[in-house]
Amino acid sequence: MTTAHANPSPGRALRVSGWILLALGLAFAILVYSAPIDSMQGVIQKILYVHVPSAFAAYLGFAITALFGILYLWRGEVRYDQVAHSSAEVGVVFCTLMIVSGPIWAKGTWGHWWVWDPRLTITLLLWFTYLAYLLLRSFTEGSERAARFAAVYGIVGVLEIPLNYYAIELFGEAAMHPDNLERDSLGDGMRWPFLISVLAGFAAFAYLLLLRVDLTRRRAILEEALLDD
Amino acid sequence: MRVLAAVLWKDLVSEWRSRERVVAMLVFSLLVVVVFHFALPGGATARNASQAPGLLWVAYVFAALLGLNRAFSIELENDAISVLALAPVDRGWVFLGKFLANFLILGAVQIVVAVVFAVFFQLDFSGIVPQFAGIVALGSAGLCSVGTFFSAMAVRTRFREVMLPLLMIPPLLPVLAAAVEATVGLFTEGKVPPGSLQLLLVADGIYCIASFILFDYVLDG
Repeated sequence: MTTAHANPSPGRALRVSGWILLALGLAFAILVYSAPIDSMQGVIQKILYVHVPSAFAAYLGFAITALFGILYLWRGEVRYDQVAHSSAEVGVVFCTLMIVSGPIWAKGTWGHWWVWDPRLTITLLLWFTYLAYLLLRSFTEGSERAARFAAVYGIVGVLEIPLNYYAIELFGEAAMHPDNLERDSLGDGMRWPFLISVLAGFAAFAYLLLLRVDLTRRRAILEEALLDD
Repeated sequence: MRVLAAVLWKDLVSEWRSRERVVAMLVFSLLVVVVFHFALPGGATARNASQAPGLLWVAYVFAALLGLNRAFSIELENDAISVLALAPVDRGWVFLGKFLANFLILGAVQIVVAVVFAVFFQLDFSGIVPQFAGIVALGSAGLCSVGTFFSAMAVRTRFREVMLPLLMIPPLLPVLAAAVEATVGLFTEGKVPPGSLQLLLVADGIYCIASFILFDYVLDG
C-alpha cells in the first residue's frame, strides 16, 4: 500500500483487470449477439445478459462496502474506507443498471413496467439505502467522521436486509421472479452466453472498483500535498 | 444507569419547561390529518376507515421526524453534545436516555393523534385499547431507536433536516410494515396477526441492541 502512495500510477491489478475486461467484453458481445432468441419472449429476453450480471455485481459491491466498513471501524486504517466508499459508488451504478433494465424486460414479458415483487422491492430499498450512504458521505463534515458514519450506515444497511425481506413476505406479495437459475431454467445455447456475461459483469465491477480506489488515493495524496504547501 | 436517568430527566424537564417539541409535533400531525382529508376521495371520514391504520402510522412517522430532528440539535447549543460524549460511561447509556425521552415525548403526541383519528374516521376502540397501545409502543420503540441513532448522525451533517429521513426510512420500513399490519389486524379482526408481532419484536430487538453498541461511533464532541 505504501508504494501506491509513493507512486500514484495505476497499479498492476488495474492493468490486468482492464485486459480481462476487454477480452470478456468482446466475448460477451459476440456470444450475446449469437445467442438463440427465446421462443416465448423474443429478443427482449437478451436483457438477461445485462440484468442478472448487474444484480450480482451490485450485491457484491454492497457486501464489500459493509465488510470494509467493519474493517475500518476495527482497524481505523483509511485504505479500508477508500475501498468501502468506492465499492458503494460502483455498486450503486450496477444497481441502477439493474433497476433500469428490469422494467424494460418486465413490460415486454409481464405486461407491466413495475410490480411489487419481493426481489424488486428489496432491491429498490437497497438502492435507496446506498444512495443515502453516498449522500451521508458527501454531507458529513470532516473526512474521518464521514468515514466512521458511513461504516456504521453500511452495517445497518446489511442488518436491514433480512428484516425487510421478512416484512415483504408478511405483506404476501406474489413472487414474479424465477426462483433459481438452475440448469433447466436456461434454454439450449444460453448457458455459455449467460456464464460469460456474469464473468464480464464481475470483471467490469473489479475494473471500475480498482479505478475508483486509485482515484480516491490520488485525491488523498493531492489533498495532503496542498495541505503541506 | 445513572447516566441514562440523568439524560432522560434532563430532556423531559427541558421539554416540560419549553413544550416546544410536543406542540410543534402535535400541530404538524394534526395538519397532516387535514391534508389526508383533502387528499382522500371521500375525506377523512368513516368511509375511509379501512385506510386509517396506514395513515395513522404516516402521521406518527412525520411527527417523530419533526421531534427527532430536535433531539440532538438542542445539544449543539453551548456545545452540550461534547459534554455528553465525555461522560465517563459507555455511550450506549446516553443513547438509551435519549431514546426513552423521545419515546415518551412521541407517546404523548400519539395519544392525542389517535383520539383525533378515532373521531374523524369513527374508529371503534372499544375493548382493544390495551392491544392498540401495545402495538403503538412496539412500533414507536423501533421508530425511536432508529430515529435517535440517526439523529445523532444527521446533526453532524449539512442539511440535517433532510438527512434524517433519508437515513432512517429505509431501515425503518420493516417496523412500519409490521406495525401497520398489526394495527389493520386489530381493527378488522380484533386480534394481532402473530407474524407482524414477531417482526416488530425482532426488529425492535435488533435495532435497540445495534444502536446501543454502535452509538459509540456515532456520538462525538
